Amino acid sequence: MRNPYLPIPVKVGRVFVESEDKTLKTLDLLFLKKEDEENFKFMPGQFCEISVWGKGEAPFGIASSPTEKGFLRFTVNRVGVVTTALHYLKEGDEVGLRGPLGNHYPVDLFKGKNVVIIGGGFAFTTLRALTKYLLDFRQDFKDITVIYGARTPGMLLYKKELNKWQRREDLKVYITVDKGDGTWQGLTGFVPTIVEKVAPSPKDAYAVICGPPVMIKFTLPKLINLGFPPERIYTSLEMRMKCGIGKCGRCNIGRFYVCKDGPVFNCAQLEKLPKEY
Amino acid sequence: MQDVQKKIREEARNLLAARKVDLVIGFEKGTIPCRTSPVFVHKEDDVGKLVWNSFCEMNLATYLTKIDKNKKVAVVAKGCDSRSIVALLVEGQVKREKITVIGIPCQGMVDRRKIERKVEGEILEAEEENGKILVKGSSFEKVFKKEDYLYSSCRVCKHRNPSIYDILIGEKVKENTQVDEYADVIEYEKKSPDERWQYFEKEIGRCIRCYACRQACPTCYCEECFVDSSNPKWIDKGVDLSDLAIWHIIRAYHQAGRCVDCGSCERACPMQINLRFLTRKINKEVKDYFNFEAGLDPATPPPLATFSVEDRQDFIDSGEGVKETKL
Amino acid sequence: MKKISKKEMNKFIQSLMADYTILAPVNIEGIFFFKPVADFQGIDGEYKNSKKPPKEVFFPQTETMFKYKDGKVESTEKVKGKRILLGVRPCDARANLLLDNVFAGEDYEDIYYTNKRENTIIIGLACNEPSSTCFCSSFGGGPFSKEGLDILLIDIKDSYLVDTVTDKGGKILTGEFKEATDKEVKLAEKIKNEAEKKIKSRIRIEGIKEKLDAMFDDPFWDELSERCIGCGICSYLCPTCHCFDIQDEAKNSQGRRVRNWDSCMFPLFTLQASGHNPRPTGKERMRQRIMHKFNYFVENYKEVACVGCGRCIINCPVNIDIRKVLKKILTI
Repeated sequence: MRNPYLPIPVKVGRVFVESEDKTLKTLDLLFLKKEDEENFKFMPGQFCEISVWGKGEAPFGIASSPTEKGFLRFTVNRVGVVTTALHYLKEGDEVGLRGPLGNHYPVDLFKGKNVVIIGGGFAFTTLRALTKYLLDFRQDFKDITVIYGARTPGMLLYKKELNKWQRREDLKVYITVDKGDGTWQGLTGFVPTIVEKVAPSPKDAYAVICGPPVMIKFTLPKLINLGFPPERIYTSLEMRMKCGIGKCGRCNIGRFYVCKDGPVFNCAQLEKLPKEY
Repeated sequence: MQDVQKKIREEARNLLAARKVDLVIGFEKGTIPCRTSPVFVHKEDDVGKLVWNSFCEMNLATYLTKIDKNKKVAVVAKGCDSRSIVALLVEGQVKREKITVIGIPCQGMVDRRKIERKVEGEILEAEEENGKILVKGSSFEKVFKKEDYLYSSCRVCKHRNPSIYDILIGEKVKENTQVDEYADVIEYEKKSPDERWQYFEKEIGRCIRCYACRQACPTCYCEECFVDSSNPKWIDKGVDLSDLAIWHIIRAYHQAGRCVDCGSCERACPMQINLRFLTRKINKEVKDYFNFEAGLDPATPPPLATFSVEDRQDFIDSGEGVKETKL
Repeated sequence: MKKISKKEMNKFIQSLMADYTILAPVNIEGIFFFKPVADFQGIDGEYKNSKKPPKEVFFPQTETMFKYKDGKVESTEKVKGKRILLGVRPCDARANLLLDNVFAGEDYEDIYYTNKRENTIIIGLACNEPSSTCFCSSFGGGPFSKEGLDILLIDIKDSYLVDTVTDKGGKILTGEFKEATDKEVKLAEKIKNEAEKKIKSRIRIEGIKEKLDAMFDDPFWDELSERCIGCGICSYLCPTCHCFDIQDEAKNSQGRRVRNWDSCMFPLFTLQASGHNPRPTGKERMRQRIMHKFNYFVENYKEVACVGCGRCIINCPVNIDIRKVLKKILTI
């Protein structure tokens, strides 16, 4: 029986600075052992615990889709000991990885339906994984709408990709910022406002929303008003985690462990939980 | 005792009725023998819960830094508790106008663990009357003289009367000026370093990092304790002896000039570790170096927070070699 | 049922030391700890229960998970050698079964824990004299309960009656064991009935989950948490509490990953890197503790996460009594 606490060795591949204030960096991690790569099967929405030797371990949502072979992409926000250490890594440095952990977005339920993806700030990581996945199986899904907002244009993640998506005919992409700079040509306004303006239809549709608590707090009512029932609105919860496998008790809310029974929940489930997240 | 208890209830009722305080913190009867439990009385109707006896061992001043500081609070305080309140005032942690100290001159609290060790079996009932403690078990009944079974901190206490109070309940008691409160520290200092380390390891080795000592102590009020700091991580969080040792040594140092030797830390410790032996040594040094005891005067700042030109300097190495300091 | 005199028992345990490490209650400064013994002289007459629960034998307070150096990882999950845990009370033995739900459940096996569980034989000691703070029978346990034990010893003054509960236990019972006489078995029955009667604390916990479901926002939690000073005694000394922290202790990139007991009662437990804390005050944390033990655990595993051992009652510095708490909840 494999020890679920033992990380597998991976090394840093491409490193890319996402935000102009340099707090957000994207790292691609590559497996060192072929069999680890072959055994690693995941779906969008899941996360991994990344270990920096000597510093510790922290959970990060997987930003790449399982259809992108050869690497796992993570975007790291520099806030503490482990994330600072990750920011100092260079190509070739070795770290540890545990995963895939948690549950994933219910893409099977989305088949044949419209999908509305709403993201805010650096919570867009697993939404990138989801969007890529849906696009790689485009024929299985109907209309795909992406609404993504950040504080300023410089804080948007995956800018190159967003540009590519905006040029595609088979999905609608709305990028907004709270505050534009001189050169910003896109939408301006908070995500909840843009959601209201775009007014995606709830008919045969699922919504997936990830962002800071304040954004979710104001966007959810907009979706409910548009007619989305809570069981068709999915979100990914953030909680302090350590073991990632539902044993250490840290991420326990109600009867769930966010790391094991989540982090993806639908709003009908969340309504029944104590408001401790 | 009964008189004092009656008066505490009266005063609490008056304070609450006149809206002079939002709440009264006192003691209520415990659910097991020889215990009391802190009680927060918000309504006049509940003052009947308040009790006073020789098992009121906890230092209630610890709650003053844990509650909403905008509330007006009355707190029942023995001699040591009132000194903790003075220590908190001096450090600006409580506002004088927000607290009403119900001071109670104290004759010491009974060490129930000492009594437990002297009986065969579990104590099922305990009563106090006229300086005697009567305990009953399923197969025994014994009477103990209270003054023979006081907590070690009470036996060397020289400040039984509250150093600060708004209301004084009961007659002031005679202070025990004759006791040599640091006799045991001086005895301990005679031991060899090896003997001292052995004792230290034996005691501190039982620690389970529950932090009851820290939480029970009124002057441990830091919002982030040094053990919880992750950047920098001063010590690790396990029960390896090296971490246990540093945890206790640093906590004792942080108490220098602030500890009133109430003994709450020792009483809270589930492993019955002798926690006072480090803090008492430091208290003794503070007294010898700076002629200062914590909690007696709200106008005197603690020595480690001030500097005076007359302070001793013989422990500073001026380059000629450290002169041996005789204490 | 087998029986053995106490003298022969000592010899028997001593003989097992060739193949097993024996962990027995050791009296240190009046407090009992489960420690390895090299010379077994019987179980101390003063022994009621250990201060730290025997969960620490399977789930140590500080445990190295693996060591690493220059990117190479060396796991320390395998425990060397077999062990016998002697003198466990029925309440604690039941608690181990509750912990098995968490650590040895269907998803993700905690190898550190299961390894030790498999390699340890548990010999329990029935409680002839339950304490006034014991309330095991309220949760389906009892002073002579055999749940979670491999062998149960019943003290009948000069001898022990030896009840073989599992094959794992039966395998080691080679030696000076005689058959107990009818009289002795009847005596044990009598002691058992008296012990069960001695447990005066009874709490009817049926319906506690439903009560708690309805009272998340009740002002009861403010009142309860007022006097709590926020230490970790109740969690650390509880035989069913299992929360832990994972830390790296290292110098540069060489070190170890270690897990330590942690408590949901500490403020840092749920503090997120952003500074947001979903349980910012003692009230939320106290509520979480009670909810987890008597509601959420019930929802997941159909059992209350409490065995009525009474350690939290005896050791709480402010005398918060879980029996009083439960009774209050049931009447709201």
